[in-house]
Amino acid sequence: MTVNLEQLIKEAVEKALEGDMDAINNIEDRVTRSRAKASLVKAKREATKEKTETSLDENSDATSDSKKDKTSNEHISELLIQQFPDDINKELSSKKHIQIQPKNWLVISRYLRDDPASLFDSLQCITGVDLGEESDLEVRYNLHSMTHLHAVEIRISCPRNKAKVPSVESIWRIGDWFERETYDMYGIEFEGHRNLKRILLPEDWEGWPLRKDYEVQETYHGIIVPKVKEGWE
Amino acid sequence: MGVFENKFQDNIVVASLDKLIGWARSTSPWFFQFGLACCAIEMMATAASRHDLMRIGMIPRSSPRQADVMIVAGTVTLKMALRVKKLYEQMANPKYVISMGSCATSGGPYWQHGYHVLKGVDLVVPVDVYVPGCPPRPEALIEGLLKLQEKIQSERPLTRKTA
Ligand code: SF4
Repeated sequence: MTVNLEQLIKEAVEKALEGDMDAINNIEDRVTRSRAKASLVKAKREATKEKTETSLDENSDATSDSKKDKTSNEHISELLIQQFPDDINKELSSKKHIQIQPKNWLVISRYLRDDPASLFDSLQCITGVDLGEESDLEVRYNLHSMTHLHAVEIRISCPRNKAKVPSVESIWRIGDWFERETYDMYGIEFEGHRNLKRILLPEDWEGWPLRKDYEVQETYHGIIVPKVKEGWE
Repeated sequence: MGVFENKFQDNIVVASLDKLIGWARSTSPWFFQFGLACCAIEMMATAASRHDLMRIGMIPRSSPRQADVMIVAGTVTLKMALRVKKLYEQMANPKYVISMGSCATSGGPYWQHGYHVLKGVDLVVPVDVYVPGCPPRPEALIEGLLKLQEKIQSERPLTRKTA
């Protein structure tokens, strides 16, 4: 019985792959029919996977060998160095990220979004990093392109006492909340942001909690903040 | 009188009014429905059909005006603490507070380093029953609610307090 069923499903799927969906739709038993549909989907998925794999191989064969083992970071960083030679910090960049100066970040981000070679249409994350009490703060952007399916990480560092970075909220709309969160936690000011205020903490909060030199405030609206119930440990 | 009609002779119930009030209050402590973190899920499970808070007379109310008990279920952040306090003040007397979970009791996992967490909801509102656990099982919460009922029942609202 089961052997028969499997045979039936296999045949129906083969027919359906050739374009004859009736073979599946005509199966009487509901369970068998849905099993057949499931295996059809699976078969189709495997087929497309093979196709993309072969096409990827073809692509990389067509392009030069040197390009093949480059990460998209290096590729994009070459593009950027051509366009904005003064703004890219080559020494600090690596295979995994591109370090740039804050000054022209707005122009660069617009270029990254619109240039046909990069087309980074989605800003996936903005992270703030505190590199230690003696050093700088850093903002990291993760960009991804839906068209080219490549991704880069951009890093911008700024001094702790004058933490200012141009806002990209007008380029990628999602940047609005990302930047507000980074501002909330690190006090990095995003210049040009249209509504830069705290997003998670209350607006009258003191200090930037994720900075290394943050000190917990003693009271908040008359409520004692640090742990007070001594002897509980 | 429905089903009871003509079944009984005329009746008189004799009780002390104090106890009667305590009984009435303790068997219908409607609770204020709001959750702050993971503990709230467990509170919802307690109120849902498996554990069924209705059988001890508890119905969730969405307005502080209609509620007698506030179950503080979850992490009270400092931002929320002000609101919790305000909500407590909006409730009508007599009102009771249950602190559910270690977060509401002492700050829980945020005890040491949680810069934004209130170290115990009893810093802003008076708490009647503490239910430990992270999160407490529904059975534990029910135990706490029964304890609260005992407490309400033992109150004597009409007796004059002597020093
Ligand atoms: S006590 Fe545990 S379960 Fe309850 S809110 Fe805190 S962390 Fe969540």
